[in-house]
Amino acid sequence: MEDTLLSLAHGFGIAFQPGNLWYAFLGCLVGTLVGVLPGIGPLSGISILLPVTFGLNATEAVIMLAGIYYGSQYGGSTTSILMRIPGEASSVMTCIDGNAMAKKGRAGAALCIAAVGSFIAGTFGIVMLTLIAPPLAAIALKFGPPEYTALLIMGLIFLAYMSSTSLVRTLLMACLGLMLGMIGIDNMTGHFRYSFDLAELGDGIGIVPVAVGLFGLGEILATPSHKVRGEVITPKYRELLPTRAEWRAAYWPIARGSVLGFIIGIIPGSAHIISSFLSYALERRISKNPEEFGKGAVAGVAGPESANNSASTGAFVPMLSLGIPTGPITAVLIGALMIHGVPAGPQLVTEHRDLFWGFVASMYVGNLMLLALNLPLVGVFVSVLRIPYGYLYPLIIMFCIVGVYEVNHSIVDVWIMLIMGVLGYALRKFDFDPAPLVLGLVIAPIFEQSLRQSLIMSNGNYLIFFSRPFSAALMAICIVLLGLSALAYFLKRKDWRAKLAAAEAGEPGT
Amino acid sequence: MTGAAAKKLILRADHISGAFFVAAGLAVIALSGDLPMGQLAMPGAGFLPEIVAVLIIVLGASLFLRAHESPAFASIAWDDGPHAGKVILITAAAVALYVKLGFIVTMVLMMAALMIVIERKNIPRALLYSVAIAGGTYIVFVYVLRSPLPTGILGYW
Repeated sequence: MEDTLLSLAHGFGIAFQPGNLWYAFLGCLVGTLVGVLPGIGPLSGISILLPVTFGLNATEAVIMLAGIYYGSQYGGSTTSILMRIPGEASSVMTCIDGNAMAKKGRAGAALCIAAVGSFIAGTFGIVMLTLIAPPLAAIALKFGPPEYTALLIMGLIFLAYMSSTSLVRTLLMACLGLMLGMIGIDNMTGHFRYSFDLAELGDGIGIVPVAVGLFGLGEILATPSHKVRGEVITPKYRELLPTRAEWRAAYWPIARGSVLGFIIGIIPGSAHIISSFLSYALERRISKNPEEFGKGAVAGVAGPESANNSASTGAFVPMLSLGIPTGPITAVLIGALMIHGVPAGPQLVTEHRDLFWGFVASMYVGNLMLLALNLPLVGVFVSVLRIPYGYLYPLIIMFCIVGVYEVNHSIVDVWIMLIMGVLGYALRKFDFDPAPLVLGLVIAPIFEQSLRQSLIMSNGNYLIFFSRPFSAALMAICIVLLGLSALAYFLKRKDWRAKLAAAEAGEPGT
Repeated sequence: MTGAAAKKLILRADHISGAFFVAAGLAVIALSGDLPMGQLAMPGAGFLPEIVAVLIIVLGASLFLRAHESPAFASIAWDDGPHAGKVILITAAAVALYVKLGFIVTMVLMMAALMIVIERKNIPRALLYSVAIAGGTYIVFVYVLRSPLPTGILGYW
């Protein structure tokens, strides 16, 4: 514990360096804008801006990119409350009661509760990250290839189980991602795989063109400008402070959202999205006045907003300590670290202590900055919301092209981005979530290498995954999760996801 | 024809997506012909791709067989299709010309085309906006971030 506190103090020394403070501020500001603007989410925002960090050192780069991630969680609430349009997916639940509060003239109070809840939850998440990540990394150092293989399999199955679409659809997307991740030279034998004599494909398909295509361009293709119209409610500054009754109604939802969000955040899946849905469902279920939900319940804003911020911080735990992405955003952040020559995982904590602790400390600072940014500058963000989408999306497409091209100066990457954009559009039409595809793409090289090394170690015996305690425990979890999904399917019983979807649709009996 | 039989004959979204994934898995197996599978004790370059391809086929087939649970293909809203088609065409043209014409010229043309052709914006305003945004971005990338952008036909600048 003492060592952790000393390391954290050292981290604050790094985070308070002027350069790092500036990039934390820039990340938070850009992240808030990314969250505010409909049609551009944190994933495409981070991917598009990745090349901007090439001139920075690894610490500055990761501080700025992470700032965009958690900043977008704050910004998403502004659009949800003032326009009833989720600035990004995790703010969907805030739309319901946040906008209802705004229509009652309590827009300022809703924004304040969302910002304070986000701050408390984000800070709680960082405290937990500070305490959990270093010991977890120490344990992970003892992992061999079988443990890593089992961990990755569990990650994929957890993702499929937690996904809002079906298990089959999520696994299909993850398999497609794994397949794309195996394009290029095989690291162990030197064979060219599926590269069709294109030298540019020899190094494989990068995560940036895929992520920008699926989530940036794909979203634009599916969003014609005539659908992005909404009235912006402008809050008055003197109404920013909630009443005493509103504060009282927000305390416990913020506390519950913080804990629930963090727990869900460390589990693979699009945690920040799921956590806000679950928090909303939980608050409505335990509320003494469930009929107020949908009509401006304070708990319907405080719970989900706290949960998504805590979850976005929780997602950094497996990313930093195990090197395992729990979702597409942490996958892109791992890619960013790799571009800067820093491996994510236990070595990050032990061998790049300045980066790790500087990053953790910068998150405390970043959360304070976001609180300071979001309330006083709400007027600025409201004016950004007034830019017509017809002027905005050509700009986003330009940044998609520049962002992808600048990574490798390769026009093939830009073509891949365009193809992925079309694929992303088609996947949305057929009700597939593209997030597991990005995750599959990122883990493909680690997964293939650890699987093949495990089989070589065991002379071809698959039982190696069941004969070592840790990998056996992880495989047992996989079997239980698959069994639960199969049981729900064969008994034609609604599992928690179906119940949640029905609850959100307002079906009776849920 | 009975109602149940008619229900079975409806082409559903998952018939299309399931068939697509089965075909994709088969294509991967066909393309993996020259990749060595190796043995379990020494897996080759084709080992995992073929396992994943088989998984894609199995999962795709399962989607196809359970397609009756999905919405009818005809019920999928394609009203945003014309918008998407035009954006794809204009973006593809911009990608094709990007290196040859350079960043500034291509991006001005692309943004102006998107705003004038698709959004029916005022032409002088759209042109002014495109030039300002492309010029500003060029200055930020080249002079502030020191990250070169293709100059194309303006290469002598």
